[in-house]
Amino acid sequence: MKKLRVLLVDDEIMIREGFKRLFDWEAHDCEVVGEAADGMEALTRIDTLCPDLVIMDINIPILSGLKVIQLSRIRHPDTAFVIVSGYDDFSYCREALRLQITDYILKPVNYEEFGTCIDNLKISRFERRIAAADEPEAREERAITGLTRYVQAHLAEEVSLSVLAEEFHLNAQYISQLFKNEIGVGFLAYLTNIRMEHAKKLLLSTSLSIAEVAERSGYGDYRVFTKAFKKSEGVTPSQYRRDFLDSSAEG
Amino acid sequence: MLRMEIALFLVLAFVAIVYFSAGRRHTPLHQTFSILLIVVLCHLVFDGITVYTVNHLETVPRLWNDAFHRLFIGTMILISFLFYQYIAILVEEETGKPRRLDPAARVYLAIAVLGDLLLPIHYAVTPDGNYSDGIHMIFCYLSVVFYFLLGTGLLLTNWKRIEPKKKMAIGIASLVELIITTLQAIDHTWLISGMGITLITLAFYLILENPDILRAELTEQKMSMLYLKSQVNPHFLYNTLDTIRIQAQLNGDSKVADLLMRLVDFFRLSVKVDRPMVSLDDEIELLEAYMELMCYRYPTLRCEYDIDPELGGAPVPNFILQPIVENSLLHGLKNMGYRGEVRISAQVSAAHAGCMEIAVSDTGSGFAVGKKEAINRMLSDYAKQAPKLTGSSIGILNVQKRIKLLCGRAYGLSYTENEGGGVTAHILLPLGEESK
Repeated sequence: MKKLRVLLVDDEIMIREGFKRLFDWEAHDCEVVGEAADGMEALTRIDTLCPDLVIMDINIPILSGLKVIQLSRIRHPDTAFVIVSGYDDFSYCREALRLQITDYILKPVNYEEFGTCIDNLKISRFERRIAAADEPEAREERAITGLTRYVQAHLAEEVSLSVLAEEFHLNAQYISQLFKNEIGVGFLAYLTNIRMEHAKKLLLSTSLSIAEVAERSGYGDYRVFTKAFKKSEGVTPSQYRRDFLDSSAEG
Repeated sequence: MLRMEIALFLVLAFVAIVYFSAGRRHTPLHQTFSILLIVVLCHLVFDGITVYTVNHLETVPRLWNDAFHRLFIGTMILISFLFYQYIAILVEEETGKPRRLDPAARVYLAIAVLGDLLLPIHYAVTPDGNYSDGIHMIFCYLSVVFYFLLGTGLLLTNWKRIEPKKKMAIGIASLVELIITTLQAIDHTWLISGMGITLITLAFYLILENPDILRAELTEQKMSMLYLKSQVNPHFLYNTLDTIRIQAQLNGDSKVADLLMRLVDFFRLSVKVDRPMVSLDDEIELLEAYMELMCYRYPTLRCEYDIDPELGGAPVPNFILQPIVENSLLHGLKNMGYRGEVRISAQVSAAHAGCMEIAVSDTGSGFAVGKKEAINRMLSDYAKQAPKLTGSSIGILNVQKRIKLLCGRAYGLSYTENEGGGVTAHILLPLGEESK
């Protein structure tokens, strides 16, 4: 798998330095290829560097981060954006989500936890690759697609490397390696990610109780689920649902 | 006549005592009114003296008679000027327009005072009583009319932009001035100018300058000061702290970086004031950030949590725990040199069905004698407490008021003493629908 090319956009040099030097890009198969300090510079850099990922503050000079995303979407549909903002405000978040950004993280950035964000990006890129592959037979042949499809279909159950090994008659070690090579993330990170995505979908589109959502997303104990959810989304499941309801009620 | 002047003097003297003993802001308007009160009191004294001297022309030497008369008329001109000045400042405060008529008013004041001191005085002697007439008297009337016209002119040109209450005060004052001056001009022996002046002063006092209004102004000013103080842009705060944190981490100082991270967490959570209710988890998270910082500052301080995990999603009023814990630290554990423990527990209440109880218990110095009763009385009479702007009880009183407002009168905060020393704050809250 080739390395992800990352562009850092923030008007503060210290924030960019922090990202560059405090996050272990190497370990996440990434490479910082450029930096920009304002919206205009960001647009130019995106055009010349064609990065896979842009990590960007909303509140930057000349053009806002949201504007940069809008303008570069057309020419660079595959570039992923992660918004970093000090404004703990859901209205920004909503606007950003409308532009189909990959993730929205709040300052102060916890560099140890930023890895989850990169993992999520890799998983969504992988899923897009699968969907874009036009020959269905070719898709079938690849072991990884079978594995991920199985995981997705059995979310609510106990899924582990050993279960997969038994089901597909493969070595657990080999499956683990397959996830790393094909998607770029470990099996557990993948599992957590799709469980969370499923839980978020259930929270927003159904009125199931938190305990039921937890169960359908593969968490027997809803307290474990709440903790995991809080860690990945920054808010508790009930808060997540309430924020969404509040914001859709407002407008 | 003399008796009326004495009565008026006493009434205004009483007003002056009340006025000067009340706290007030030092604005040009209030300063003008203070001067006016003093000048009116002096004027009434001279009024009384002249009422006596003018009717005893034979016994009182002419020089004394003239001197008191000139002082009497002089203070009256000054009062007319101050009335005008008061109205002008009021209009300026209301509309923001500069006082362009002021130079003219001052120049005229100088001329009028000069005229008062220099023009010859003539006394008319009648069976109903004596009074002064002639050029000196006419000059005095002219001054009153001049300032009257300036004042009413200002009022009428800015009619729509002045608050109704203030219009009423100025209107009443002008009307009284008009009627009294006219009556006095028709019959010179009535000598009712003192009464008119007293009425005008009273009108201003009762409508615009009474102690309640002064106090409200003071409170408003303090509140807006407090409000302005809290206007730090949070974005600036996070970003600056974050910059420092990253620098610390780049320097390899992860302890400092962690502390700054907690500080940012605390600020980020505590500025969510727009949301009246938050989940208990959020409230605990804020408290953890606060206590971690405090425990770092005072390493002998310990903090224990005993939270029923089932209650994590229960809605609680925003920002109620931190003020109570802060209170425990400042009034209990500080006296022990911050050696001790704060224990925070949240459980379904055993005594009250459908309720949860959050208890904040400390091992501090406990209540002073009678303090527990005083605090619990203050908390149970929360609605009657005047909004205090200082003092340590403002925090917990505020918590109490918000709980009562958001959850209902059955819930709230109370304090008990621990057997082994220290105090416990009990917060009784309804069990929300999300706490299953």
